[in-house]
Amino acid sequence: MSNPNQNDVILKVEHLSMYFGKGQYAKKAVNDVSFDIHRGEVFGLVGESGCGKTTTGRTIIKLYNATSGSVYYKGQRIVAGTLSYNQEIKAKKAEIKELSKQGGKEAEIAECRKRISELREEIRSAKHDQKHCDDDYCKKHLADLKEEYDAKISAAPESEKEALRQEYSTLVSRTKNSKLVTQIQMIYQDPIASLDPRMTVREIIAEGLQIQGVKDKEYIQEQVYKMLETVGLVREHATRYPHEFSGGQRQRIGIARSIIMNPEIIIADEPISALDVSIRAQVINLLNELCQKMGLTILFIAHDLSVVKYFSNRIGVMYFGNLVELADSDELFRCPLHPYTRSLLSAIPLPDPETEKNRKRIRYDPLVDHEITDEAPEFREVISGHFVRCTLKEFEAYKEKAMQ
Amino acid sequence: MATEKKLEVKNLVISFKTNNGKVQAVRNISFDLYKGETLAIVGESGSGKSVTSRAIMGILAGNAIPEGGKILYGDKDLMKISEEEFHRIRGDKIAMVFQDPLSSLNPIMRVGAQLTEAMLLKNKASRREAKKNMSRVFKALESNMEAAGVSNAKEDIAKFRKFSLKHCELESAYTAAVSSAQEAVAIGEHIVRRIDNKAFDAVSSDIHDFERAALGSVSYFVVREKADDLKTRVGTIKSAHKGKDFATVAKEITACCEILKEALSYEVPNTFTLGYYLTFEKNEIPKVSVEELNAMTHKATEEDFMNEFLANAEKAVRYSAKTTDAHRAETSKLIREKLSLFKGNPDRSQCEAAIKTLKSKVNECLDPLEVIKDSLTHTFDTSIDYAASLYFDGNTRNEKEKKRFEKQTAKHDAIIAKGKTPEWEVIPASYVDLDAARADMESTLVEMADHFDAQIKDNQTADYSARALEVIDFLKELAQESVYKITRAMAREKAVKLMDSVGIDEPRRRFKQYPFEFSGGMRQRIVIAIALTANPDILICDEPTTALDVTIQAQILELINNLKRERDLSVIFITHDLGVVANMADRIAVMYAGKIVEYGTAADIFYSPAHPYTWALLSSVPDLDTKEKLESIPGTPPNMIYPPKGDAFADRNKYALEIDFEEQPPMFKVSDTHYAATWLLHPDAPKVDPPKIVTERIARMRGESK
Repeated sequence: MSNPNQNDVILKVEHLSMYFGKGQYAKKAVNDVSFDIHRGEVFGLVGESGCGKTTTGRTIIKLYNATSGSVYYKGQRIVAGTLSYNQEIKAKKAEIKELSKQGGKEAEIAECRKRISELREEIRSAKHDQKHCDDDYCKKHLADLKEEYDAKISAAPESEKEALRQEYSTLVSRTKNSKLVTQIQMIYQDPIASLDPRMTVREIIAEGLQIQGVKDKEYIQEQVYKMLETVGLVREHATRYPHEFSGGQRQRIGIARSIIMNPEIIIADEPISALDVSIRAQVINLLNELCQKMGLTILFIAHDLSVVKYFSNRIGVMYFGNLVELADSDELFRCPLHPYTRSLLSAIPLPDPETEKNRKRIRYDPLVDHEITDEAPEFREVISGHFVRCTLKEFEAYKEKAMQ
Repeated sequence: MATEKKLEVKNLVISFKTNNGKVQAVRNISFDLYKGETLAIVGESGSGKSVTSRAIMGILAGNAIPEGGKILYGDKDLMKISEEEFHRIRGDKIAMVFQDPLSSLNPIMRVGAQLTEAMLLKNKASRREAKKNMSRVFKALESNMEAAGVSNAKEDIAKFRKFSLKHCELESAYTAAVSSAQEAVAIGEHIVRRIDNKAFDAVSSDIHDFERAALGSVSYFVVREKADDLKTRVGTIKSAHKGKDFATVAKEITACCEILKEALSYEVPNTFTLGYYLTFEKNEIPKVSVEELNAMTHKATEEDFMNEFLANAEKAVRYSAKTTDAHRAETSKLIREKLSLFKGNPDRSQCEAAIKTLKSKVNECLDPLEVIKDSLTHTFDTSIDYAASLYFDGNTRNEKEKKRFEKQTAKHDAIIAKGKTPEWEVIPASYVDLDAARADMESTLVEMADHFDAQIKDNQTADYSARALEVIDFLKELAQESVYKITRAMAREKAVKLMDSVGIDEPRRRFKQYPFEFSGGMRQRIVIAIALTANPDILICDEPTTALDVTIQAQILELINNLKRERDLSVIFITHDLGVVANMADRIAVMYAGKIVEYGTAADIFYSPAHPYTWALLSSVPDLDTKEKLESIPGTPPNMIYPPKGDAFADRNKYALEIDFEEQPPMFKVSDTHYAATWLLHPDAPKVDPPKIVTERIARMRGESK
């Protein structure tokens, strides 16, 4: 497995929240989740069904509009929610009211007002980023392109200038249509439901390119064939329909569809859960291979811990919308700190009858396993690279435990 | 381990007819299932494991062709019995839990309704059937009694019938009232707790339930003289509930519960003597206590009538057996005479005429007063018809098959001659074995005749008074079935108990919810509870945890294990994930391409796997210490329209020997409990070690367990 570059953060998720519904009835599917993904690593996200791991993936790729928090891709903000700012404005307004009642606290009030206007500015910029991040990206990219080709054209001899101009114009048209989000691609869980049954494999794989505005048919053909071969299928398969393939092959088509866009990041949402055991190994091996060959970064969402352990460099454990533990995969299995992680680890079935018969499953009950205090648990770094969501008291206990 | 065999599958062969040809889904598999054990069937999708389970349940798809083999449950062959007989087994004795809890529950029906549906429907149908059966047996009894020379047969039987029905009616009314009272007490205590905790909003529908249950228990035996008191109290509860006066509601409910609890501690009335009293003496229950009532009715019961009736019944049974035996002797003789027709090269028209007369003769040989139905005589019609049509149509069938095969081969050759490679293969010809079909026909007849002779012999030494008692007990049973009403309240009580036992919290509240309000694991629990409603002996779980995540999977596996222990169930657990079954299975059968390739105890399969396919399955699952590249199984399972000539796994097997492509390996014995079908176990085969990933893991597991 390739060693990820520790410092090169490719995707940064900050205080991301995704609520469905509004006000007190809001269902908090994802609640204040933060993590970084480094270039070239496989980041595993595990948890039981309904804990919000899929919603996190979908919010990152902008299938949902985030409620609050932001996601940075290579430093550019691509997802931004506004709820937290709005809440702060509300709080500040209440504060102003309180202060003005007391009277004679002009300085504090002015400060609050200043903060509110700052927050309003933040909201404006968040809304702009959420809506226009692609445009910003395109503009920047076009400017770079113009600079590059201007220099090239002026330097080139007269005979080649025309060809260069042609090249420049095609690149410009493609860049104009390109979106930042296409650099993040998704592989879906169910290989049967995620492929349109009325499209041939060629159409399915080429759809992304066509939407991006590529009109060169030969180029598309070439790319489709290349992708098919990359994922271990053959050219002849391009004319067939999805129902003619087995489960593992269908999942390969899904993978080909996502890597044709030349993405930097792939969000793999339980890509192996619906597959047979023998085919699982094929798909995992393929993803591993692609990871090394194309330098992909993968956000791997799954509930099968033994596979995640095998496949990922770092693992985040989610429970009811919260990220409760985050660590290197070996570290997490060596020393699981959060009681939920421990219960999750104890539920893994192993192909060994002796140990299985003596296995004690640990049950996790938040009311029993945590001391009930008024203090809200926070995400804290226990030892380097190992984060746990805990209260201050628990933090000390975990620290002691992790040191052993 | 338990030793009683629950289910025996012998040489099962099942194919499916499709547009492209015959798919051979299950090819000659055999296994036994013992009482209280878990048998896991492991294999890839398309290996035939689900088809096997469906064959056991009798729910194969319409295009399935059961080509041979037996599934023995008790003394019945599930491949041969009629649909009516299957109704008594399917769901009742053998229940199934399906893979996807989302699609196996009805989304627009409340969970409670789905749990009780089968109980209520089954009760209705069985009542109808019991009534019909009862009339038939009474009629037979009457005619036989008359023939045997009993003077007042008709009156006696009418009397007996009336009395037995009355007795059962009383009994069922009593149980219904008791269960209603129990339910009312349970709900009442629940409501009072709620009201104490000031949780008023959730209590409304429970109060309605309480009112209904409390009124349902107002029967003479259960609340008796306090019935009026209870009724007025329920009325008060109703009005107080309307006025949102929860304090009064709680008070009244507590009082009601007191009454009901007291009533439940009364003596149980003797419904038998009471039934007699009501039928023959007076038509109403006197207003006395239960103790007095029991004593009084007991006195009134005439022992003479019952004894006389029993003696008469014995006469009838004896007479009926005698007449049937005469028929049997005649038929047996006839069969043996006609047997020569079926020898050598039988003539169709002669044989068919003979079969026709034999069939009507055999039908006469059923004793109408025999309680346990003679299944061999019963199924004679269908089995002889099947055997005869197989033999007599076999010639034309074989000719057709030959023609098709020649035509296809010619076409195939023509394409090759043109220098192209055809995209299809020739389906190999399958002919009907005429000799075997004829022998089958003959053996069916001989078996029948022998069976008759044995029966005649048995009847000479039979104890007829015991048989008469059997008949009367059977009639009582039928009477009970025909009046035993499972009321909605009883079904609900039972369902709530089941939901509790499969680990659903607050079953009373959950009872009224829709499936979408449950999480995946809870839904699967409901499916399991539905499967358990009829108290089955065998539970077939078809990938019950594949759609669930790890924690829920562990819970469901634990649940199935616990239920198995509590109810002494035999479980057939079907899955593709070997890791899942290590915990549950006592024995494991690994299936590939419709055959069992390895068969052994859990320890055999996990610690000393012998078949390359098992190795491949084991090595494609990563465990927590796996670091190296996983060994995936290359390719896909073979197309079973064209089953390979040799070992089906040979194409994907890197350990395949030359003989694997030529001939199918037989089952080699590894140890007393462990068998595997691979040529690698042949004494002449080269020694091959399992892949490193497997041997290392086994070494590690061995080390850990020591």
